[in-house]
Amino acid sequence: MTLDPDKIQGFFPLLQCGFMVKVRIGCSIKTMLCEQFGLNPEYVEDRIQTIFLDGKTVDDIDSAIIKDGSTLALSAAMPGLVGATLRRGGHLALLRSGITHRGGRKSVSRREGMVVLKLFNLVGNELGPTFLKRGIFVRREDLEGLLMSLPGEFWGGCKAATVDGQEVGLDHLLGMTWLDNYDFAMLRVHGDL
Amino acid sequence: MKILRINMGAEGGPKMSEEPMGEYEGLGGRALTSAIVSKEVPPLCHPLGADNKLVIAPGMLSGTIAAMSGRISVGCKSPLTGGIKEANAGGQPSQVMARLGYAAIVLEGKPKDDTLYKIFINKDGVKVGPDKSLKMLKNYDLIERMKGEHGEKIACISIGPAGEMKMAAASVACTDMELRPTRHAARGGPGAVMGAKGVKVIVLDDAGMKMRDPKDPEKFREANKRWVEGLKKHPVTGEGLPAYGTNILANIINEARAYPTKNFMWGTFEGTQKVSGETQAKTETDRGGSATHGCHRGCTIQCSGIFMDKDGHYLTKQVEYETVWAHGPNCGIDDLDTIAMLDRLDDEYGLDTIEMGATIAVAMEAGVADFGDGEAAIKLLKEVGEGTPLGRILGNGAAVTGKVFGLERVPVVKGQALPAYDPRGIQGIGVTYATSTMGADHTSGYAVATNVLKVGGHVDALKPEGQVELSRNLQIATAAVDATGMCLFIAFAVLDQPDTFQALIDMINAFFGSSLTGDDVTELGKSILKNEREFNTRAGFTAQDDRLPDFFKKETLPEHNLTFLVKDEDLDTLFNW
Ligand code: SF4
Repeated sequence: MTLDPDKIQGFFPLLQCGFMVKVRIGCSIKTMLCEQFGLNPEYVEDRIQTIFLDGKTVDDIDSAIIKDGSTLALSAAMPGLVGATLRRGGHLALLRSGITHRGGRKSVSRREGMVVLKLFNLVGNELGPTFLKRGIFVRREDLEGLLMSLPGEFWGGCKAATVDGQEVGLDHLLGMTWLDNYDFAMLRVHGDL
Repeated sequence: MKILRINMGAEGGPKMSEEPMGEYEGLGGRALTSAIVSKEVPPLCHPLGADNKLVIAPGMLSGTIAAMSGRISVGCKSPLTGGIKEANAGGQPSQVMARLGYAAIVLEGKPKDDTLYKIFINKDGVKVGPDKSLKMLKNYDLIERMKGEHGEKIACISIGPAGEMKMAAASVACTDMELRPTRHAARGGPGAVMGAKGVKVIVLDDAGMKMRDPKDPEKFREANKRWVEGLKKHPVTGEGLPAYGTNILANIINEARAYPTKNFMWGTFEGTQKVSGETQAKTETDRGGSATHGCHRGCTIQCSGIFMDKDGHYLTKQVEYETVWAHGPNCGIDDLDTIAMLDRLDDEYGLDTIEMGATIAVAMEAGVADFGDGEAAIKLLKEVGEGTPLGRILGNGAAVTGKVFGLERVPVVKGQALPAYDPRGIQGIGVTYATSTMGADHTSGYAVATNVLKVGGHVDALKPEGQVELSRNLQIATAAVDATGMCLFIAFAVLDQPDTFQALIDMINAFFGSSLTGDDVTELGKSILKNEREFNTRAGFTAQDDRLPDFFKKETLPEHNLTFLVKDEDLDTLFNW
């Protein structure tokens, strides 16, 4: 889809639901974020303060290894005692030691795979455009639900839409029949974003 | 500053007296409420009897220009837990009451009949008068009436029908900047004690009064400036909370698989994205409400907001994380409008949202309604407000409801419902739930200032008993913050930025002309907990009351396959310092 810059936010709800991206697995979280996604290491260090890998809280992004099918959730620092407890590292990590990620076996082979990424709160706002431009795989029901809920002003800022390389009109897009045979769709957003 | 005492049971009607601070000099907020309750209330008295006292106290710095200083503490013997209680709230009354010169209002005694009173306080003095017409008014209607009688420049402390019916989940409501009764000192049923005293509303009008003067105005202003800068530059207090409010936590706790779902059966909820802080903030702004708003003047963090209904009309304030969880996922409900309506009804009737959400979930598990049935949840809450027989049971909380319906999975400690974190997932929080003097309470160990305060020394993170040590330190630090009247959300800036913590200490010292150090703050926290703990012991609490419900030790949290593992003997060491 080709959008006016201020309309990309319309897709942000997909970021918290989780989307899939193709990556090289078998590397650390840090390698994936910085080398594969090209994120600034300082941003990763300072901003992404709360990280879950498969539901476990991550303290060390160098030792936690990404596997095929892993779910990685990224968030800024959180409020509350529990928010502080879930933050990376720090002496409060002890309070949730039962759910702490213990690091991975380095032996996971390095090859292509898929991971589920969830981007929450400020991190979603800041990294959302990067991933939407690269293209994200989303569940059909998530995309359907979102497209149907977007208001008229959003569509006013939507310059063009193509499905499988063919330009389509709004009626076709919202008719949803183009999704009939798929469980997932790849969404890519263009424009001066 | 002075203490106002009103004996509601005096011969010939309520009698007022004002006295200097005396032995309570220098105390404020929770330090003051807990000192008065522990010294003056017989621990074995009936919470709704004449011997109990309701103590309302602004924080040490309330009524000054200090940012974030507008929390008010309400203390008593709790009708829900049977132990000591301090519940605190934001809103305007703290600042207004402090500017009127009162460090505390103490309601004592009990009227001989069911007469309901209104208390009005302004620069000219205090008036207490009966007003039958206020009976069973809901909080919003009551405040409209007070506006009509006293104008728009007031602040009110009130109870709704639940307080009048002396329900153990009843709250004390405080009005916000828009003069709406949205801020509640709710936990543990202080509203029932106010109801037992026969007081429907306290109206405060500070017209003609000035800000409280610091001993050293120059130093005070300068420290406040550093304080505000520290809060603004921190990512939690400067960005995350203002943008999304406390419900920013929903996605995170769900991802940690510690988001109690359907009465603590599960640790994840499939509809979390529909009720998350991100979705809530977007809904609020799309509908013309606001996702960034303060609950009192002088709040720079602004974690609150305004929630409009689908037609763009005001429904309630931004619903907080704990409330969204209690009425939402904990009951299997994934609809923000239903949750916002339940929040509004809680505020109308004057009820603790955590307790009511937990109670409805218990009722759902008992088969009174289906999990996920939002309409049924609203109907049950309306029964509470109307005082039907079922409503009376629910209005007395999760423990009573669980007993009535013969349920084993009842998530309470000392009779008070657990907040929104599963202690099998985040075990250190379970330590605080179990041992807090207040009953299960997430805010008891909230002030994460331990590495700055070094409360109780350094904790060895490798020792299992470290969780107990950490919880102890956190509870001490929190008690101290509760005394200042500062909103607990300051804790994050203080945790990460020692200079911001120093700015707070400098502000206190410049205001009182004192020379407090970090160690003194620690001592203050300890003395508060000591008062509270002693009261509870004299009220009959033993080590057996410092335990989580049995099911947390027996049933695993499926997503982590974990039970609560902290040993009883370790819990028993928490108050050893
Ligand atoms: S941060 Fe939130 S709770 Fe604290 S004073 Fe501000 S609006 Fe009130």
